[in-house]
Amino acid sequence: MSNSVNISVETTCENQIREIGYDGTERYQPPPTLSESLAKCAARIDFSKTSLDDLKKEEKTAAAATEEDKDATQFQESLWPWDAVRNKLKDALTEICVLSDVISVAKDKRYLVLDPLLEEADDTKPIVQVYSRKKAISQAAQVLLGGAERLRNAHSEQRSRNVSDFHIELLRLRQNWRLKKVSNAIIGDLSYRTAGSKFGMSGTFEVTKAEEAADDDAPSSSNNSSSSTSGNNGMQLKASSALRVIVPSELQGVAYIKVITQKDQEDLCTAQVNLMGHGPNITAQTGVWQKTLEFAQNVLFCKELFAQLAREAIQLQAPIPHVVIGNQIRATLLPNIQLIISLCHSTTFDSSQPAPINDHDHVLEHSLHQLLREVHYKNSHHPFPHPASAPLGPTKKRMVAGPMAADRETLLDMTKSQTILEQIIAQAQHIFMRKRTQYVLDTLARDVKDPQIVSHWNAMNSPTMSCVKINIVTHGYDAIGRTSLVIHVKERSLKCICRDGRVMRLSYEPQELRDLILCQINSHQISCLISLARCMAWTVLSNSNHLGIGKVEPLGNASSCLLASPNSDRMIAVQIRCDPQIDVKVYIARSPRQDFFPSPLVPEKLWENLGGNFKEVRFDKIEGKSFLNKMEFLMASLTSNSA
Amino acid sequence: MGVTVLQPYPLPEGKSGAHIIDQLSKRLLSLGATHAGQFLVDCETYISTPQPHNGSPGRAVHVLHNSEHPASTFSIIDNGTGKQVALVADNSFDLLMSKMTNTFTSKKQTKIESRGARFEYGDFVIKLGSVTMMEHFKGILIEIEYKACVILAYCWEMIREVLQGFLGIAVGKDFPSYFAMQTIMTAMGQQQLHAKHNDIFEPMDTVKQYLEQFTNYRKHVALLGGMGSGPGGPPVHMSPSVVGMGRP
Repeated sequence: MSNSVNISVETTCENQIREIGYDGTERYQPPPTLSESLAKCAARIDFSKTSLDDLKKEEKTAAAATEEDKDATQFQESLWPWDAVRNKLKDALTEICVLSDVISVAKDKRYLVLDPLLEEADDTKPIVQVYSRKKAISQAAQVLLGGAERLRNAHSEQRSRNVSDFHIELLRLRQNWRLKKVSNAIIGDLSYRTAGSKFGMSGTFEVTKAEEAADDDAPSSSNNSSSSTSGNNGMQLKASSALRVIVPSELQGVAYIKVITQKDQEDLCTAQVNLMGHGPNITAQTGVWQKTLEFAQNVLFCKELFAQLAREAIQLQAPIPHVVIGNQIRATLLPNIQLIISLCHSTTFDSSQPAPINDHDHVLEHSLHQLLREVHYKNSHHPFPHPASAPLGPTKKRMVAGPMAADRETLLDMTKSQTILEQIIAQAQHIFMRKRTQYVLDTLARDVKDPQIVSHWNAMNSPTMSCVKINIVTHGYDAIGRTSLVIHVKERSLKCICRDGRVMRLSYEPQELRDLILCQINSHQISCLISLARCMAWTVLSNSNHLGIGKVEPLGNASSCLLASPNSDRMIAVQIRCDPQIDVKVYIARSPRQDFFPSPLVPEKLWENLGGNFKEVRFDKIEGKSFLNKMEFLMASLTSNSA
Repeated sequence: MGVTVLQPYPLPEGKSGAHIIDQLSKRLLSLGATHAGQFLVDCETYISTPQPHNGSPGRAVHVLHNSEHPASTFSIIDNGTGKQVALVADNSFDLLMSKMTNTFTSKKQTKIESRGARFEYGDFVIKLGSVTMMEHFKGILIEIEYKACVILAYCWEMIREVLQGFLGIAVGKDFPSYFAMQTIMTAMGQQQLHAKHNDIFEPMDTVKQYLEQFTNYRKHVALLGGMGSGPGGPPVHMSPSVVGMGRP
């Protein structure tokens, strides 16, 4: 079956309109002549194509065109596209001529010989490739195995030898200390210069490889090794390392600063300033040089601290001048109490070193360390703000003083600063005052049983001030009354604030505090008695804290109280002195008097109601645990129901 | 920090300023005051250089120093219509002003200062100052500070009593003119009478009082200079707001 449809494809025979005449006639552009179309095709030839197909095409077209070209050469000037084509064809002709010349010359074999190139066979057998690759890989494997073998040997040798490699040791050293390489030597720095210290002594040490001599002799015989290597004796394992540290001679050995507070010849408290005792023990994994360097750094620190203290001791003007002799500084804290700071430096390591003294005061030790570190810190850190247009260095307060219109006193206060020696003296004085106050309060509390003295010391205090709150209560009568006072313990004085607002300043003499507490006990007894009397319905006729009677006492005056019973038939008079001990006297009177007899001068009977004489009571024989207890019983017994 | 009050002292005829100062110092020392150094308050004025065209005097910046606050420099901008802006700054403010010569010029001839001895009398600090402008003596200015109080209203009577006691002149009962009632605009936009004597005293208030007194001295120069040598009339009862060489 034929479902095909014939389709005819025709080009439009219409030509482009060239111009339209005034009378409407259209003049068409004539269709291109054969030569014109050939010229167009020739112009489309791209002579830059170099593929074989293109070359073949080009050859065909070139061959076809050369015949046409011969016809058109006479019109070459007018036919512009043919010009380029002609040139290209001319070049092509030249090249082909050259090629034919070369081939003819080569054919002669006299001047030019053509040798065939060895062509690689594309179809190599795959098995050959496999073999070649296998060989190459096995060579590579051998190289790697050789290297692994060497590493394994080195590792097992290291373990068996128990001596670490120099470089590993150097790495560990570098992790802990600053090192730098100067020409051939390795120099390190153990000073505190980068932390802000301005001390002149240099702390450089040298690192060298350990000699491969006999390990038993090396630690003890070498002068350059630290003295602490011999301290590792007793251990069976050889603790020598692959590197040696050479420390300058003035920093060798062990140093510490001993701080002693001495009263006339007796040691009261002692402190050791030592950087070493509290750090973690890392000797085992880092070798003996760590201990050497740490000791040397400690020596440097102690020397700097002592030099600073000595300089300040000479410059400061104290009421009793400080004395600097050799490696000892003596300063007076209080009369008869001296503070002795000495630098102890031992260059030979003595395993029979005396044990640290038991009254070790960690606080003073830590304080000296902290004070010097604070000086270092202030040297390297300037307080904020860091303005671009003002000097760097003044504190924040001083920077703000200008805009805040600070007055002269404030500015003067800002300039005052305390040196390390002044600060440590203040702290030592305070420690001493605190100990003394504690002693006085404890002995008083032990000796005086009747009202109980309870002292509560503040847990938080500053290095130069502590506070204690003292409550004086009578056991069983806490609700009746309590006397409390606060004592601020400062460096050389005490300040005592009573509940009623009185502020008393005491000096460093312990007797003053004792007297004060005794007076307070005195007034406590009377005030509690007054409260007790009110509870018992007794009337308080009068009381006085300072009776000016009797002989003059060294410690204040007597205090007294006068009570009357509920129906006024009995009176009690109490007098308390605190001579050296609390001394209580109680008197009773009764009214009406028993011994009234009317006389011609005083005839009426009613005058018997004026109270009788006071008779003393043997107060120590009365039943009762304490003064208030006894008074309670006395008042109870004297209270009668009769109207 | 306390309340400070300035009191100009009228110069009687025929006596020189140095003589008066001497007399007053002797009085203070015999009362029991202690001499405690010297003091200096100085004021320099800068005028804005491009003079505005509409005839107004242009902005003036007054830079004052007070030896009582040695770390600070006080500065007050006056824009001619009475509005003042005050600033307390560090001493490097002077360096800043020296760089501003394009905008502000310093009128050297109006540099005025008060200098003299400083006495401490219990809780009071009394300063006897002789005011000079370019080496010409202008008058005597007494400054009294009561250190224990910060509000004038609480201690004005006591200050007045002390002043009258050793100066020997009558001091008016009213507060000094600086502390008089002022009308200010509140935040709500209403006008309100504000009593300055109930405010907490600030160092800036001392300096503003000095500026007020110095301005008076300068005006008197202008007045006297403009009218030739004016006759110095006999001083009558002085209220604190009138300057020593005042005319009735």
